[in-house]
Amino acid sequence: MIAIQALEGGYGESPVLRGVALDVSRGEIFAILGKNGMGKTTLLKTLMGLLPAKKGRVELLGQDVTGWPPYRITRLGVSYVPQEKSIFQDLTVEENLRLALRDGASFDARLEMIASWFPVLKARLQQRAGTLSGGEQKMLLIGRALLTRPRLILVDEITEGLQPAMITTLTEVLAEERRAHRLTVVLVEQNVGFALALADRYAVLKGGAVVETGRASEAGAREHVERYLVI
Amino acid sequence: MAARWQGILTVTTLLAAALAASPSVLDDYAQQILAQAFFFAIAAITVDLLWGYTGVLTFGQSAFFGIGVYTVALALAYYVEGPLATAGAIVVAMAAAALVGAGVGWLAFFDRASPIYVAIVTLALPVVFTQIILSGGAYTGSSSGLPIPAPFLSVGQWFWISGGLLLLVAVGAYVLVTSDAGRILVAIRENEDRCRYLGLRTSRLKIALMAVCSAVAALAGAFYVLFATAAAHNYGDFSFGTEMVVWTALGGRGTLVGPILGTIGINYVSAVLGGNLPFVWLLFVGFAFVLVVVYLPQGVVPALVSGMSRLVRSLGETRSRILARSVVHAASLRALPSANGAATTPSEDGPVLELRGVSKRFGSLQVLEGVNLEARRGEVVGIVGPNGAGKTTLLRCIADGREQSSGEVRVGGRRIDGLPPQECVALGVSRKFQTPNVFDALTVLDCLRVARAYRTPASPWRRSRTLELPGPALHAVEVSGLLPRLNEPAGHLSHGAKQALELAMVLALEPTVLLLDEPTAGLTRDERAAIGSVLRELARSHRLSLLLIEHDLDFVREISTRLVVLHQGKILLDGPLAEVADSELVRTIYIGGKP
Repeated sequence: MIAIQALEGGYGESPVLRGVALDVSRGEIFAILGKNGMGKTTLLKTLMGLLPAKKGRVELLGQDVTGWPPYRITRLGVSYVPQEKSIFQDLTVEENLRLALRDGASFDARLEMIASWFPVLKARLQQRAGTLSGGEQKMLLIGRALLTRPRLILVDEITEGLQPAMITTLTEVLAEERRAHRLTVVLVEQNVGFALALADRYAVLKGGAVVETGRASEAGAREHVERYLVI
Repeated sequence: MAARWQGILTVTTLLAAALAASPSVLDDYAQQILAQAFFFAIAAITVDLLWGYTGVLTFGQSAFFGIGVYTVALALAYYVEGPLATAGAIVVAMAAAALVGAGVGWLAFFDRASPIYVAIVTLALPVVFTQIILSGGAYTGSSSGLPIPAPFLSVGQWFWISGGLLLLVAVGAYVLVTSDAGRILVAIRENEDRCRYLGLRTSRLKIALMAVCSAVAALAGAFYVLFATAAAHNYGDFSFGTEMVVWTALGGRGTLVGPILGTIGINYVSAVLGGNLPFVWLLFVGFAFVLVVVYLPQGVVPALVSGMSRLVRSLGETRSRILARSVVHAASLRALPSANGAATTPSEDGPVLELRGVSKRFGSLQVLEGVNLEARRGEVVGIVGPNGAGKTTLLRCIADGREQSSGEVRVGGRRIDGLPPQECVALGVSRKFQTPNVFDALTVLDCLRVARAYRTPASPWRRSRTLELPGPALHAVEVSGLLPRLNEPAGHLSHGAKQALELAMVLALEPTVLLLDEPTAGLTRDERAAIGSVLRELARSHRLSLLLIEHDLDFVREISTRLVVLHQGKILLDGPLAEVADSELVRTIYIGGKP
């Protein structure tokens, strides 16, 4: 499903990833944890083709996608939910959602699905997306990413700025999508509680490399992870 | 600092020597073409300052060049003669252009004007200018141009004058863009909104820059007409203005050297080739432009530089040298001598922030409805509520007096209605945005410097290596581990580090009311605790009034003294932390989800 070998990359001249290796299987929910500045976001952006891989190999959904541009990776069935709220501010909520689909036929049915998770989005369908609150924009982002029925979704700190009740909803939505469609999920999170409650396995990044992997259900996993988060 | 001036002096001397020597190897024709290109390059530098550094796309620099051309031409043709009078005419031309430039800036740079608007205004300017010249009849020479009795100088002399002038302007521009104030120009390009919320009067800065750039373009035009001995309307028209933008883009905007070399290169080659292949040459320039825009969007010079540095690195020794250099230039931060114990304002007991009946509508959507709220010094007011309750809008209404639809907001007793953010900063309000808002292209140190510019005006020529920050801002930099990373571009920082940097930036403003929109989002538990202790300290020792939006109730509990619950635009609860945090209401609407 995902196979990453000896991946190196980063911004400009400064290397951030220094030999990341990971394997994630189909239908798995995988959490990437670690302190800030350890390369978690850089890893997702490199997987998505938004940053170039300097060395190593990335295989997604059975294809070697190293060096592919983002749009080709998206067409494979990969959705990306960036941490920055990258929605189209001047388009309406509905237009933002429609843009995600390449054929409009299935839009209505899929919209109902999104609306059942995030009723507020349906209520605001004709509103300019830029006027949504920060948390609502996050809902729009995840809604738009799931609208395409991706096979793999990369999610960067989705819980940031969400009210606790909404985090619970999100846990249910991702778990349900995985159960029903064998969706594979890769999460980058600071919220260790949320990540470990949802994930099957986790990896801890430190200094641009994986220093630890484990099963989220193991006893003491949380203490184990939090050791790495201490300053 | 001394090293910078030494470098400038060395390079200037070398270039001046090259300039002095070149007439012995260049023929008259080459010198003639180059002299013209040098004058054009001066105008291109002003385009680069405005567009490349500050982000103001302008097609109108030709109009200012034209003002220089025609002011001097008309003066010499009808009114005065002699070198002194000519010099006077040049000064008048520059003053006139500066005035027009300031007027255009005033029209184009009002708050909230979109960048497209500026481009259109500057596009209209040369059109107006050309019309005036064309309708001037025999007085301006209309479309046939205006010959002038110019002083006779040899081609070699003109080569030196134009080259010397270009060198002077280029060095001046270099000093400006590498100075502390130059960082502010880049900050405006990167994120003008953040600049306003840092108290900078960006509109005024841009108008001043526009006036200076206009005067310089007029200087180039004024000398150019003496060299060409005839004025023509096409030196002020819009296609000339557009060509300047093309030269700048081809060479590489935001580099100074790029636009200069772009201008000289294109003008020289087109003069040489244009004679033999007039039409094919234009086609070639057009193709070159398209190719550069598509394949080298940064321009030719930056592409060459990065190619060279890659080559050098592959030869293998630079890494250590680059490191060594960054150590030599190591920046440092110093604590500001804390004199503000006395500055603590009289109204210590009254509320420093008061909201009465504040409402906000977006079209038909009522986001805030009749909000009443007070905050005193030393208080940390936590604002909680579900997503979409209006929390961020509430902070926005306090940081920008133009936001609220009705009601009144007072800071330190003064109403802020209609005041733009930079004026609210002057009253002591500073706001940290929800998503970290820093200047990606600037280093950490320069971000802090720009934030500090509102208190200590930045020098337009000096480049300081040190920066004095107020204690709390320095503390925030220290606890978040940014100290060893002062020379890194802020764009390379992780999300959490950007959050910390922005907090330090708003603290550098020495606010009395601090608005924080989810300051700990994206931080680990320990980073959160570190920021929490900074915030508590601010309220306790520095008597700041903090308004804090947070979803993490544990964090809110730890640092707040008071808690406000906002739901669907209204305040449902407002009281001491213990009472509100444990209330049934908070549990149902916030944690349980459905009210």
